[in-house]
Amino acid sequence: MRRLGLLLRLAAFSLLVAFLVMPQRFAPLFAPFTEYGAPPIYDQGSLLALAAAHLGTVFLAAAASTVVAVSLGILVTRPSGAEFLPLSRTLVGIGQTFPPVAVLAIAVPLVGFGETPTLIALFAYGLLPIFENTISALQTCPSSVIEAARGMGMSSRQRLLGVELPLAMPLILEGIRLSVVINVGTATIGSTVAAKGLGEVIIAGLLSNNTAFILQGGLVTGLMAMLLYDGMAGLEKRLLRAVHVG
Amino acid sequence: MIQLESLTKQYGPTTVVDGVTLAIASGSITVIVGTSGSGKSTLLRMINRLIEPSGGRVLIDGHDTSATPVHLLRRKIGYAIQGHGLFPHRTVGENIATVPRLLGWSAARIQARVDELLRIFQLEPAEFAAKFPHQLSGGQQQRVGVARALAAEPAVLLMDEPFGALDPIIRGKAQQDLLDIQRRFGTTVVLVTHDMDEAFHLGDHVAVMSQGRLLQYDPPALLLTRPADPFVSRLTGTADRSLKLLSLTTAGEAAEPGVGEGPSVPAAASLREVLSDLVWSGATAATVMRSDGTPAGRLTLAGILARGRAG
Amino acid sequence: MTPTPPPLHRIDRLGALLGTASIAAVAWLPFVTFKANRIASGTARSLFEVLPFGTALAVAGIVVVVAAAAIGVASPRSRLAAAIVGIAVVALALAAAAADLTPPGNRLVRVSPGVGCWVLLLVQALLATDALARLRPGPGLRVLCLALTGAVLYAAFALGLFDQLSIMREYAVNAGTFAREARQHVLLATGSLGAAVLVGLPLGVLCHKVPRLRAATLQVLNLIQTIPSIALFGILMVPLGALATAAPWARELGVSGIGAAPAVIALFLYALLPVVANATVGLGRVSPAAVDAARGMGLTGRQVLTQIELPLALPVIVTGIRIVLVQNIGLVTVAALIGGGGFGTFVFQGVGQTAIDLVLLGAIPTVVLAFSSAVVLDALVDVMSRAPQ
Repeated sequence: MRRLGLLLRLAAFSLLVAFLVMPQRFAPLFAPFTEYGAPPIYDQGSLLALAAAHLGTVFLAAAASTVVAVSLGILVTRPSGAEFLPLSRTLVGIGQTFPPVAVLAIAVPLVGFGETPTLIALFAYGLLPIFENTISALQTCPSSVIEAARGMGMSSRQRLLGVELPLAMPLILEGIRLSVVINVGTATIGSTVAAKGLGEVIIAGLLSNNTAFILQGGLVTGLMAMLLYDGMAGLEKRLLRAVHVG
Repeated sequence: MIQLESLTKQYGPTTVVDGVTLAIASGSITVIVGTSGSGKSTLLRMINRLIEPSGGRVLIDGHDTSATPVHLLRRKIGYAIQGHGLFPHRTVGENIATVPRLLGWSAARIQARVDELLRIFQLEPAEFAAKFPHQLSGGQQQRVGVARALAAEPAVLLMDEPFGALDPIIRGKAQQDLLDIQRRFGTTVVLVTHDMDEAFHLGDHVAVMSQGRLLQYDPPALLLTRPADPFVSRLTGTADRSLKLLSLTTAGEAAEPGVGEGPSVPAAASLREVLSDLVWSGATAATVMRSDGTPAGRLTLAGILARGRAG
Repeated sequence: MTPTPPPLHRIDRLGALLGTASIAAVAWLPFVTFKANRIASGTARSLFEVLPFGTALAVAGIVVVVAAAAIGVASPRSRLAAAIVGIAVVALALAAAAADLTPPGNRLVRVSPGVGCWVLLLVQALLATDALARLRPGPGLRVLCLALTGAVLYAAFALGLFDQLSIMREYAVNAGTFAREARQHVLLATGSLGAAVLVGLPLGVLCHKVPRLRAATLQVLNLIQTIPSIALFGILMVPLGALATAAPWARELGVSGIGAAPAVIALFLYALLPVVANATVGLGRVSPAAVDAARGMGLTGRQVLTQIELPLALPVIVTGIRIVLVQNIGLVTVAALIGGGGFGTFVFQGVGQTAIDLVLLGAIPTVVLAFSSAVVLDALVDVMSRAPQ
């Protein structure tokens, strides 16, 4: 069963890489979906470069969100930041009712078209899951463990770095994964505001009525998102096994 | 009369209950004891077929239980479990009315039965019927659990560690309630526990299970005086077996004719309690008093000690 | 033990931060943006440039008072009242500014809220939210607050208070389509939700009963959720388009490669995960003792499910439905790209025409819709969980 899973993942990954590196080889597969001799494979730019740009945007935004969200999460769960906690919780709740498209669309008028609104939207929207998970992880830290750490004479800084954060790690990592996956999707929509990314292929297909473009764009982004989600979940498991013995 | 005939349960290669045969007299209390994993719960749950036997059969009043559809069978058998299993979204009254409703009783009859049971369990209907389980104390929840099991006037009541989650004082009270109610309705009770003292206190008969097999099925006194297996003596404990034996007999049963000069003890007290009284007060004999205040006879220290001896 | 008396003039740091921000916004940031027509570039105007000096001073004064209350007043009720007054005053000032800047009869001039105005509204909304969060209103009160806010906003728009604002100009142009797209948006979101509940609930029950099925099902549904919406819309267009070409009955049912069909199916697929997962989790949390007792008393398998397990799992199931509804309302926006309609139509039209007001005309109702659904369903979950568990 596990073997089969690994095999499937490997196959999916190889297929994705093969398609991105030499898309023309797959042209016969997509040809039936074109009409009037339209190109079967996206020809307005390199698919590999688009994929790289897409991932670059996603990870840049995710890195920024992680740093800000985790710091803020730590801040509002310290006694000195307690005044900000109720508002933070409510804001996370309200923020998640904002559709990513709306965040993106509102960012455009503020900063214009291109990468920047997409980056801002990805950053802002990516904050929420990480922030939420950081807060709930730090708040649900078993009080007995914290008491024990205090009893052993650990300073609050030592408690945070040595006890609370390691215990909170699984939930924080999960938040980062969620955030990245949402970002992959939002970045796809970013192509409507002229950000470089794989959404471009789908949009081009929609505009020129080229089903082959739509299909390959959809398949590539879908596959990439699934592999990313799956890969990050695997990475989390390994990381956690390294941190916690057993 | 419940008859278990070479009842067996296997899960794959493991045998959880291994050919148990025993007969339970109507109107008695039978306690099944054993360590965890001994198969005692499985044995009990095969009686109402919550677990289907792999082999053997169960007869209730001569009828094979496998002949009745399970849900109809279960509605005729009371069932109470550890942690009460009350339905959290239904009131106390609705919980108790569960089986009568399934049986299609009239609303008036259900109402009357719920009120009657609540009163028997010292829960004033006007106060408790409309409450939800989470508004009750642990002891009250447990009482409602037993009341619910008795709602449809079952002839048989199965209880799986019913008092396991209660603290010692409430547990003693709950055990006394069970004895009173069993006497009142004449219900046949089969109860599973891992607590030997509970088994001795409640059981007319005690069945000792170990590793799926029935080691001994006898009245409590015989378990002490004639254990059928070294495991039985280990389970009953040898350090205080004489005291346990004394606790099985009441002062009224053991009283000799005559009047003693020592302290007076109630006829319902166990010999163990009388012995403790005598040791405490330094007397060598006691007068046994009936509950109406008339003397029933006397007990001597030597007489009590003789009853605590093996054989 | 003597209780320590509360400090007399305790400074609320959150209030200090937000209060300072609002005062700075009045002092230095532009209150409105003025454009001679829809495509002209805008010029920023401060509060004192657009309103008569006395009025502007009064508005600024009220903002300062609200800020002071945020900093120095501890009672959440008073803070909430102050914030509400602040929001109302800023909104009225905005309406007044738009009316003042628009020459009578002129339908070309565009006045939209400037950065300062947005900051003021945001800061005061944050203050109100914070006060509300501290007051912890019950579910009924929360829905009542929502309804009241809705009623006040409706009244304000019905009275034409904001008619001179740029976004309302866009609305006036699109009034006919707006109602249609709104209906389409709600239909798409709730229709796919309904289908997902019809399919997902039985699937969740099945997953609960058959643990081996659970892991596989949830994994597949999880993977579906990771597929970006626009990609899934695109992938679905192909088979649906083929179906419509091949089967005339399907075409008559309105199935086609573009439009509502792929949108509904994609939303349905996304919605399955929360419905199935929450049903499984909710059923899994039902006390095993209650189920054992129910079976032991002779309830049939169906009775155990419908009378014990499902009622007890209901709050968790409704939480799943809340997640789906909010998620769906957001995702429907994207459906506009494949001709599915909904508020997304305005968003993408606006993006195409670089018309921010048109974008907002699509984005704001979407957010309002999602937020209101969240409040109402959260309240429902609260009510159900408060019923004894």
